[in-house]
Amino acid sequence: MSRVSTSPVSKSLYFFCIVLSLFLLYVDINYKSFERTKNLYKSFTISSAYLLKRVTVDPFIYIFEISKEKSGLIEENKKLRQELEKSYISNFIISRDSKFFIDDTAIENFLDLNSINKPFYHAKINSFDIEKYLCCSQHRVFIEIFNNHDINFIGSTVINDQGIIGQIIYDKPIAEVLLLTDVGHVIPIISENHFCNARGSGKPGIITCSYSKLIWPNPIEIGQEFFSSGMGGVYPSNILIGNVSDINVIDNTNIEFDLNLVADPLQSIYLGVFEGL
Amino acid sequence: MSNIRAIKLLMILFVVNIIENNTAPILIKAFINIPITFLIFSFVIYKSKFNTNALYAFLFGLYVDVISDSPIGLNAALFLMMAYVVNSYSNTFKLFSSIQICLFFSGASVFYIGFSHLFVNLENFSYLILFTSLIFNTFLFLIIAMLRFYFPFLASR
Repeated sequence: MSRVSTSPVSKSLYFFCIVLSLFLLYVDINYKSFERTKNLYKSFTISSAYLLKRVTVDPFIYIFEISKEKSGLIEENKKLRQELEKSYISNFIISRDSKFFIDDTAIENFLDLNSINKPFYHAKINSFDIEKYLCCSQHRVFIEIFNNHDINFIGSTVINDQGIIGQIIYDKPIAEVLLLTDVGHVIPIISENHFCNARGSGKPGIITCSYSKLIWPNPIEIGQEFFSSGMGGVYPSNILIGNVSDINVIDNTNIEFDLNLVADPLQSIYLGVFEGL
Repeated sequence: MSNIRAIKLLMILFVVNIIENNTAPILIKAFINIPITFLIFSFVIYKSKFNTNALYAFLFGLYVDVISDSPIGLNAALFLMMAYVVNSYSNTFKLFSSIQICLFFSGASVFYIGFSHLFVNLENFSYLILFTSLIFNTFLFLIIAMLRFYFPFLASR
């Protein structure tokens, strides 16, 4: 179907409308006469878009934010709990440094010497066969170290809130700690100018040391304190290990004595692990 | 306007205007301008079985002026001119080939760009934009025209 040709009236109307449009255009450009109408429309569209978003999108965003916030709070709670547990160990070192270390500056010297900004990592006992610990000679603890970095912890010193309890022998996936009392463990210790390599006795809380009178003529006394010497390259030096509890004279020259350890691995499930020296 | 009623066309122009506002800043980086709103209106009056009333084109032009934040009267005048040309040559267009129709529409779009730039963007008037837009729009319309040959179901709509 074809369209009818444009009539003169229609042409006139077109002409009139075009002239009117151009007039409006001239008025608008020169006098900004329609700014109010345009602004009214703009405010209407902005308000409508805002209301529409508030009614449709915002409820979903709100629900999403709430769920996100909840999971965020749980994460924060976990992090705070870890920080709190870590602070237990820190407070212990700060409050007991005079007992734990041989003198007040020892901890500072230890940290300075090793350039450690974060002196230890927090850890928690994962598994500890207490029955085996009380009856047998193999004394091991499995711990979980809270650490996000890929650090080799083999050989690192493990402490609890009383002192050194052992060293890590395997670190992945769960770290295995060889306790001081394990028969396979040896720690070099010192008291004044008396050096000795103390072996694990296989008994809970006791390590044994033997020496020759010919080498160390000074006598040992019950209650004498022994500290780590740091000679083995594993443990930091000058940390209180234990007190002499029993002295056995083997023969005329050789003497063996027992040390009661100050640190009991059963005392706390929270531990600290020093980065390897 | 037998096929598309006025309200439907108003809504279409509103949506198309939003699309145009979002695509124009991207396309202008390539010196291309596609006046989609104007082309949609032109296409509607071209496909209409009846002559478009001048007031109808005038009011739609004013409506587009308001929603597109153009000077009032700019689109109204251009829509009227386009409606007048399409109405006057509606029967002649039937003798034209698709390529000629495409050339006509791309020419009209370039006229729209040039005319609107004279009022809105005179200081940055660019022949390069007109030239690239002419080429791009011509090829774009040819591709759109060819779609019905490759996708016949589109032509039946």
